[in-house]
Amino acid sequence: MENANTARALASSSARGQRAENGRAGEEYQKALKAHHLKRKAWLVLIHAALIAWVLVSVYPLLRIFSVSLRPGDRIVSTDLSLIPAGASFLSYWKVLYETNFLFWLWNSLIITCATATIGVSLAALAGYAFSRFKFPGHKTGLTLLLGNEMIPAAMLLLPLFLMIMKLGLVNTYLGMIIAYSVTSLPFSIWILKGYYDTIPKSLEEAALVDGTTRFGAFLRIILPLSTPALAIAFLFNFTQAWNEYLVARVVLTDARMYTWTLGLFELQGQYLTQWGMFAAASILVTLPVLGVFLYSSKWLISGLTLGGVKG
Amino acid sequence: MASVTLRGITKRYKDTEVLHDVSLDIADREFMILVGPSGCGKSTLLRMVAGLEEISEGEIVIDGKIVNHLPPRDREIAMVFQDYALYPHMSVEENMSFGLRLRKLPKDEIARRVGEAANILQIKPLLKRTPRQISGGQRQRVAIGRAIVRKPKVFLFDEPLSNLDAKLREEMRIEIAKLHQRLHTTIVYVTHDQVEAMTLGSRIAVVNVGRIQQAGTPEEVFCRPANLFVAGFIGSPTMNFIDGTLLDEGDGPRFKNEVMSVRIPLPLDAQAPRAPEGGKPRSVVLGIRPDDIYAKPPEPADGPDLIPAVIEVVELLGHRKNLHLKAGETKLLATVDAAFAGKPGEKVSVWFNASRVHLFDKDAQERISLEGRRFPR
Repeated sequence: MENANTARALASSSARGQRAENGRAGEEYQKALKAHHLKRKAWLVLIHAALIAWVLVSVYPLLRIFSVSLRPGDRIVSTDLSLIPAGASFLSYWKVLYETNFLFWLWNSLIITCATATIGVSLAALAGYAFSRFKFPGHKTGLTLLLGNEMIPAAMLLLPLFLMIMKLGLVNTYLGMIIAYSVTSLPFSIWILKGYYDTIPKSLEEAALVDGTTRFGAFLRIILPLSTPALAIAFLFNFTQAWNEYLVARVVLTDARMYTWTLGLFELQGQYLTQWGMFAAASILVTLPVLGVFLYSSKWLISGLTLGGVKG
Repeated sequence: MASVTLRGITKRYKDTEVLHDVSLDIADREFMILVGPSGCGKSTLLRMVAGLEEISEGEIVIDGKIVNHLPPRDREIAMVFQDYALYPHMSVEENMSFGLRLRKLPKDEIARRVGEAANILQIKPLLKRTPRQISGGQRQRVAIGRAIVRKPKVFLFDEPLSNLDAKLREEMRIEIAKLHQRLHTTIVYVTHDQVEAMTLGSRIAVVNVGRIQQAGTPEEVFCRPANLFVAGFIGSPTMNFIDGTLLDEGDGPRFKNEVMSVRIPLPLDAQAPRAPEGGKPRSVVLGIRPDDIYAKPPEPADGPDLIPAVIEVVELLGHRKNLHLKAGETKLLATVDAAFAGKPGEKVSVWFNASRVHLFDKDAQERISLEGRRFPR
């Protein structure tokens, strides 16, 4: 009986000890966990602070221009730091839209840019496919030349490009601009698309060929739908390049009615007086189409569409 | 339903010839397996039948028609790829109906065929999902389904099971065997797995270094391998090969080397010298499968036909045991009953089932015994 009691007492005391031990270990674990969480939080705060600072630096100029566009008169320099200045009005916007050829310029830019992007991407999509899938004489040389072409500064291409366009009688035409633009951005698009096609397994096209398509059919039905992220990137690249281009436009377009907005904007800059308010307003307005295109195409940029079709 | 004939097929990439004058007749409704190690040219051969690879020389005939210059879509074939090759941007249903839609079949016919195939392969609940949302085994079923709905003359399978895990592979193997029984179509099936080859094929073509080494039923290939390569490639565990010479000392042909003298009760082909007749005895390789080697504890009364050996390693497989033996310098693998009591380091006496011995010429590597053992035992 006594033995049993002793055993029970021993057992209960050892259980208490165990619990205490467990408690201690638990506390330590909790402490470590807390420290870990704190560390994580500190990191997050740090990263976010850096990101916010970066955003401020990036957005500040835009906000300044917005602020200038709202100022009455044409003051670019001001001691006023407020975003919305005293006496703010949309007068500059109204003036840009109705007292200048701004809408004309925008229209010209839009036509040239959309045509450039569409033609450029279509050509690059086909050329990239050829470079990705076929072996032909000049395959490697072609790719190297395309890359080399990218390294020539735009200013160097200016004269030959102008001479060519002049000889073709395409000065002051949309077509001249479209050719000049799509040709210059083609190499980059081809490289991007070729690189993307290379990641798409050949067996997908082969399956389509066996299923009953032609080579071109397989390209249209299988490869193109799978390449939307790369196509979107190439399109955006072409679009922004053509939209913001100034140098070539300056040389090829001499008729004020054919001006793109980049040329037009400088019309507002007189020799003695620059209409900074209108300049700023126009600058804000021209970002809107690009912004729209970017927002719209962001849904096509989701990559990883090819996942799961073949063994990953 | 169609036969496939390969006549003198040669494939060259620039200066390298990867297939040399390959000829093979595949009968209507036959399940033909092309088996061989990786890089032997078997997949290239299949892709040439599919029209995905150009033919450098020779002719491919499907259903009596030379198809050398026909694009894949006009060859009335369907192919299942190693990596499944499902179109990622289409649902399972769209994947399966893709070929039918291209051929502009009526909608209700397409729906009927897809439904039928989905039933056979038990993938009906997956029809609306995309390839990304289903498992590897299911993807393989869909890939097979995509081939079935087309009702092609010939099915081509390019290592369809090699991406699946062992258990799934076994399941799918049985499914494919059932499918062949059900559809009764000509199938050409490429694999590097000799178990798949033995279990699925109505005939096997063993391919190595761009040549068909032997084509025959699984029994023929297993029991009468045409050369050393086939003997070593087919069968698991692999056949034992022992170097020696072929002699005739009056009691019929004997295989001899420093540790053994084995009487060969098989008829040899005309070229095999029964006696050295003054010249050098013929160098040969004796092949014996691990299952055809027997072992027992040594006794003083053991005759000269028994080979003394030492057990090096014993591996228990369950109902069988692998004995790794050493007889002189020769290593042997014997598969014996699990009840065998020998331990590593112990001496044993070993003998061969003489009627199941294979003999190969050492230089030509070709089989010299005309008749092998009969199958099954």
